[in-house]
Amino acid sequence: MIALETIREKLGVSEPWVESRGTHWLNPGAANIRDVTQAMNAAGARFVTITAHELPGDAGLRLEYHWDLQGWLLGVPFQIAGKSPESAKIDSIYDLCEAADWIEREVHEGFAIDFTGRVYEPLLLRAGDKPGVNLREAPVQDNPAPGLQGQKEVAK
Amino acid sequence: MSYKIPMGPYHPGLEEPYKLDMICEGETVVDAELNIGFNFRGIEHLAETRNYVQVIALMERVCGICSFIHTLTLCQAMEKLTGLEAPPRAQYIRVVMAELERLHSHVLWAGIAAKLMGFKTMFMTCFALREKVMDVLQAISGNRVNYSMNHVGGVNRDIEDPIALVPMIDELEREMMRTVIPIFTTSSTARSRCAGIGVLTHEKAISCAVVGPTARASGIPQDLRRDAPYAAYAEMKFEVPVEQAGDVRARLFVRALEIIESCHILRQALAKMAPGEISSAGEKLVFVSGTATSRVEAPRGEVMYSVTWKENSRNPARVHVRTPTFANMPAVRWMVRGARLADTPLIQASIDPCYSCTDR
Repeated sequence: MIALETIREKLGVSEPWVESRGTHWLNPGAANIRDVTQAMNAAGARFVTITAHELPGDAGLRLEYHWDLQGWLLGVPFQIAGKSPESAKIDSIYDLCEAADWIEREVHEGFAIDFTGRVYEPLLLRAGDKPGVNLREAPVQDNPAPGLQGQKEVAK
Repeated sequence: MSYKIPMGPYHPGLEEPYKLDMICEGETVVDAELNIGFNFRGIEHLAETRNYVQVIALMERVCGICSFIHTLTLCQAMEKLTGLEAPPRAQYIRVVMAELERLHSHVLWAGIAAKLMGFKTMFMTCFALREKVMDVLQAISGNRVNYSMNHVGGVNRDIEDPIALVPMIDELEREMMRTVIPIFTTSSTARSRCAGIGVLTHEKAISCAVVGPTARASGIPQDLRRDAPYAAYAEMKFEVPVEQAGDVRARLFVRALEIIESCHILRQALAKMAPGEISSAGEKLVFVSGTATSRVEAPRGEVMYSVTWKENSRNPARVHVRTPTFANMPAVRWMVRGARLADTPLIQASIDPCYSCTDR
């Protein structure tokens, strides 16, 4: 598909798109998320969502950005460091892609990832709660307040 | 001088809680801020604590209206992780259930829209029609809301006599063509309450990446059933209705035309339904490590599931759900700008919002 190759060339990525279980994945290499967003905007791709994963051990977090291009689901993964809120950072794309607003806020709340260059208040889904207590394996703060320990620990 | 009017979380037009803070000058809305989260249940977190059977029942409860769609999307993703494929008959049954759910959802929405227009007779007509669709869903699945139809590798119940359902489809289409569509398209009440109201321009619809009938009413011809077919949709012939005006009336037209298209798809699926098994699942499912995604065109637009599994685990490691209202809801801010305050309940309802989906 020509548009996919155009995106890849624009980002200067040598690895090809790889289809896997419903998504066409592109390893962005040295390109950052803002470069990718601009390439997707130029190709006329529709933003779909961001899926965040906490990786095992100290591997950090993986963010999968999804776009739709003529019915093809495109995925571009980014791995970021970060067990602590100070290190879990990635550029916000909200100013380039209005549709990313709510999902950036939701991922921030669930995983305590800082999308730099934007503000989060008021919180979207859990007003008054702290970020990172819902979908993280362990609480992000050193001394969590009573009742705010990681919910997964409670469930287990 | 501007002032702020909070609408919600107990909403005048909708059953579910959310809040819209509107900044008004006189009777005109100049800006709005949306507040959601009143229905937050932590379902994505709960999914990680459920095994591969339990998680289907859990995700069926993300939404009461689109419960089949949610399990279909989840099961399609899980099928990619297990290497299973639903047999052809199950794929047709999935199409039938998905289209019946679309009919049920669109007719329900038409009734609510009629009520918000002050057209209560039409509300009763729509709900009587919806009841007929519910009867069919109940006849197939045994349930009126959460149907428990999907499992990984197929469906739980067969449609033993598909052709027996065709008269119901005929009657529904006849009633829509005879009563509902003409009244919605020609009545002065419907026109005055809907035309030119709550406009979402084509450019703004692209910028907000809205989906489903909300996108199609703003001139974006996207529909996953055609663009990325799943189940047996590749074998169905149907049109994707698109309107250009972007107002409440255009959203109403798109849904009305989609009801007719759903009837066409249902007739084809019932007539062509392949004989054979309805499940390819064995005793125990074996998942491979990795992530699989699946997308389905729900009545309100695209639903996407991203499911991650670790090998030999009974539970998913991560289930992320992107629902259509989550994509459409931010656009309400642009729809209500410049609107009269009295029109805002109908404008909000025009995207057919679902807050249990949005909040999860």
